[in-house]
Amino acid sequence: MNRLFRSRWQRWINRRIPRSDVQLLTQRNLFILPTAAGVVFGMLLLIMLITGINYQNSLIYLVTFLLGAVFVGAMHQTHRNLSGLELTLVQAGEGFAGDDIVFRLRATAGKDDAIALTLSANDLSVAVGYVPSGQSVDVALPVPSAYRGYLRPESIRIETRFPFGLLKAWSWMRPMAAGVVYPRPIAAPEVLSTLADGEQTASSRSPEGNDHAELRPWREGDLSQRVMWKRFARSGQMVVADWEADKGSPHWLDFNAFPGADHELRLSYLSWLVLERGRAGARFGLNLPGQVIEPDSGAAHVTRCHRALAVWGEEKPRDAFAEPHGTRTGMDTSRSGNAMAGERS
Amino acid sequence: MSLLNRGNKPVETRVDSLPSRALLWLMASFALLLTPQIDRLPVWLIIACIALAGWRWLAQLGRVRLPGRWLRGGIMLALVAVYLIGVQGSFTVDTAASFFVLTVGLKWLETRTSRDFYVLFYILVYLATVNFLFHQEIHWALVNIGAIALLLIGLQVLNAPELPGGVKAGWRRLGVMLLKVLPIVVLLFVFFPRMAPLWSVPLVSGQARTGISDTMRPGDISSLAQSSERAFRVTFGGAMPQYRDRYWRGLILDTLDNGTWRQSGYEPYRRPGRVNVDGGVGDLKPNEYDVLMEPTDQRWAFALADSVAVSDNVVQEADNLFRFRRPADSPIRYRLALQNTGETATETLEQREAHRYLQLPAEGNPRARILAGELKGSTGDLGVIRALLNRFREQPYYYTLRPPQMPDNGIDSLLFDQKRGFCAHYAGATTFVLRAAGIPARVVVGYQGGESGAGGDYLIVRQYDAHAWVEAWVEGQGWIRIDPTAAIAPDRIESGLRDAVAEEGSFLENNWASAQRYGDVALIQWASLQLDRINYQWQRWVVGYQGQSQMDLMSRLPGGFGMRELGYLTAGIVGAGLLIAGLVSALQMRRGTSRDRYRRVLDAWYQLCARAGVPVRHGETPSTLASRLAAAEPAVADSARLFARMVNSHYYKHQATGGGKSDDKGEATRLRRLLVTMRRQLRRSGKNRPAAFRATKPDSGKQID
Repeated sequence: MNRLFRSRWQRWINRRIPRSDVQLLTQRNLFILPTAAGVVFGMLLLIMLITGINYQNSLIYLVTFLLGAVFVGAMHQTHRNLSGLELTLVQAGEGFAGDDIVFRLRATAGKDDAIALTLSANDLSVAVGYVPSGQSVDVALPVPSAYRGYLRPESIRIETRFPFGLLKAWSWMRPMAAGVVYPRPIAAPEVLSTLADGEQTASSRSPEGNDHAELRPWREGDLSQRVMWKRFARSGQMVVADWEADKGSPHWLDFNAFPGADHELRLSYLSWLVLERGRAGARFGLNLPGQVIEPDSGAAHVTRCHRALAVWGEEKPRDAFAEPHGTRTGMDTSRSGNAMAGERS
Repeated sequence: MSLLNRGNKPVETRVDSLPSRALLWLMASFALLLTPQIDRLPVWLIIACIALAGWRWLAQLGRVRLPGRWLRGGIMLALVAVYLIGVQGSFTVDTAASFFVLTVGLKWLETRTSRDFYVLFYILVYLATVNFLFHQEIHWALVNIGAIALLLIGLQVLNAPELPGGVKAGWRRLGVMLLKVLPIVVLLFVFFPRMAPLWSVPLVSGQARTGISDTMRPGDISSLAQSSERAFRVTFGGAMPQYRDRYWRGLILDTLDNGTWRQSGYEPYRRPGRVNVDGGVGDLKPNEYDVLMEPTDQRWAFALADSVAVSDNVVQEADNLFRFRRPADSPIRYRLALQNTGETATETLEQREAHRYLQLPAEGNPRARILAGELKGSTGDLGVIRALLNRFREQPYYYTLRPPQMPDNGIDSLLFDQKRGFCAHYAGATTFVLRAAGIPARVVVGYQGGESGAGGDYLIVRQYDAHAWVEAWVEGQGWIRIDPTAAIAPDRIESGLRDAVAEEGSFLENNWASAQRYGDVALIQWASLQLDRINYQWQRWVVGYQGQSQMDLMSRLPGGFGMRELGYLTAGIVGAGLLIAGLVSALQMRRGTSRDRYRRVLDAWYQLCARAGVPVRHGETPSTLASRLAAAEPAVADSARLFARMVNSHYYKHQATGGGKSDDKGEATRLRRLLVTMRRQLRRSGKNRPAAFRATKPDSGKQID
């Protein structure tokens, strides 16, 4: 019952507040309700009225009416605080999964001053404070992210309780633009590129071939194929062999270099590798199914690669897709399907 | 010393979550709310409150730490224990208010979050409410409302710690808000139906107040004479009686016991009834008078002799005394009428009554008894009375506010040795002698006199007008008033205590702050009387606006409102107020957001497009929308393109030159006209096509490119 109501309410809200990067707050999309403190205040007024009646005290009537009227006045004030305010999403942020992605918003006050505003998205809130009439203030709003891909907060809430905290007025902005969340970097095992790349590959390959192997303890992210299971059966230690010979071209980071790993894991490896290479200032290219980024270096290149990793297999969210982004439920299958279809050799 | 934070330990961080300026406002409000109660609250409580608030403030500054849970609990238990001992089980608003004050004081120690702040806010608002039960004068009303305003400022600071524009802007905001809602408040005040009390409530106060009590020891009234507090105020429908006839009878003391006069034969009330403040309405008839009495916490009302009750909150009892149904725990107005009744003369005193009024202690004051015997021997009852008064008049008896101590056989030493006393002494002695002479007599306590208020249209009776006199039963005449003070100091009866003790210079000698003490300074006298007049009008018309007064006012208005109509009217006022406010803000909003006329025309166009099946997409230019509309509805193709061109040219030209205002208007009108044309064209083309075709699902924003 509650859920039904909630979904109805959500649909009604969504109709009322279409997705947009600019939101002008008007009566149409502003909501106002008493806070818990306001409800208690209402009860206090009732008690005061009863006191006034029982003691036949006119002045208590008077002060009760005065406070009641102040409550109504506060309603207007609180409403006016937000109405006419224009909220613009200036920049949707980028960052790694698990971090808070910073969205930059600009609040421009209308005819009235906007006082004591708070912005919040997914339980993280930031105080905007005071926006004088006709001026604007930029705010950085962190949005928690869990998964790579496009991050588009279902709604960004703007709220004010000024002047007395007895009422809260709020509205939502449902941004159109989406932030980009890079895959969380996971230290990748040393890998080779399956992409044949002439002389580079030849020169870097070890002449010893498969003979020389380095043994090291297992760590998270190692492929199960590379665990020396015989050794494990003997000693109980998970040991991984790093075959020098397996090293591929360091210039190419390849999606297909991690056979057997889950797609998301591969992307995380690649994200880590991009970060490493970028830090080292090396030239590298990125090979993803359906997308090849030619070798280059520099911060812009790193960002480009990260973006490509972030949105690989993801579709840019549009208003037609109402489901909240940043959640993964039921999307893995479709994504792997996409990946298969997009794979070319 | 362990409380002191020597800087090496961090102050609890949560303390900082409450803006200290908000806390300051709260404390200021608390201090202001205590001022009306300062004379009522026990001293320890005030000291404890100041100490606790000071502690909290030092903690806010980081000088000391707030107490831990155990210490806090200990302080709380100790203070509550002291409170309970002081209260001794009596439950009145007074004790409840003290408890509120104590709660606020204790709450200071754990005010850490904004939630605690709100709890304090509620308590303090209710404390202000309770204050109205104790004091209803206009200046106290202003103090209370001012304290509430301070609280509201504190809330603003709490909710916007940076408080743009500073406190001044906060005050302005609050002031503007109050001004805006004032009409509604006034309408509600006038029209909100004043219901009868829903249930009986505890008394406001159980404490003794300054005023007449139901026992009289010689010297009691002379201490009362040092107080210039108001006892009551009277408006007469007709002419004011002469000064010497203003005897306000309060109660009768009939039993002398160990030097103290007390009353017997009256049952104490069992439980206070419901509050009844309906003191009569309408214009006063010539024989009526209207008394507004300050709270005495007693049940007796003061009345002139030969009065009858007019308002129903006062009841006539035996001996022509008047009683309230509920002790006067707050200012109370009642109405009486003067009536000449000669019937009492024919009655005879019952045996039981005669016995009661002849009661005397078995022994003591032998010389007074001998004097009574001597007087009795000469003439009848009236003769005895006359002889006694002559004795007072002829011998050197003095009326003084500084009577000597007369511990043993007080009446004897007053009559024969000292010959110096106050009205209570002489009244007691006279009653004693009359009773000893076999004449039924009683002491009457009340007030005598009263000065005119500003404008001379009402009378102010103060505590120093308290008086005691004697009534004696004379066969054939009934109870007659005998005032020995009139024989000793005629000034007291003719013009008041001030003149009577002028020589002695003892008038209000311990009361430096009283305005009445400086009665000879014209300015002070004038200011004090004007203030009193304002308060009197305030109390009669604003504070006293209750039940019957409201009905009286309503009956004067056309329409004949009853209680039910008033209810509807109130609901109407609230509804209309909200509606008007909503409309005003909506209009302001409209003016604010669509200051741009084009915006409105454009919105209308977007609507038209959406109806035609081409909803506007995000970030689409007018011309692309127009071409899409043209594709969907060929009939309006030309008009749509023209429209888009005009919109474009308007916006670009606007940026280039700034645009003339009058030119703007013309363009907008042309656009609107074009829109109307398009609408007509659409309608016409719609008719020519089959309905099924038009019902196709509109393209819902799916991008083609």
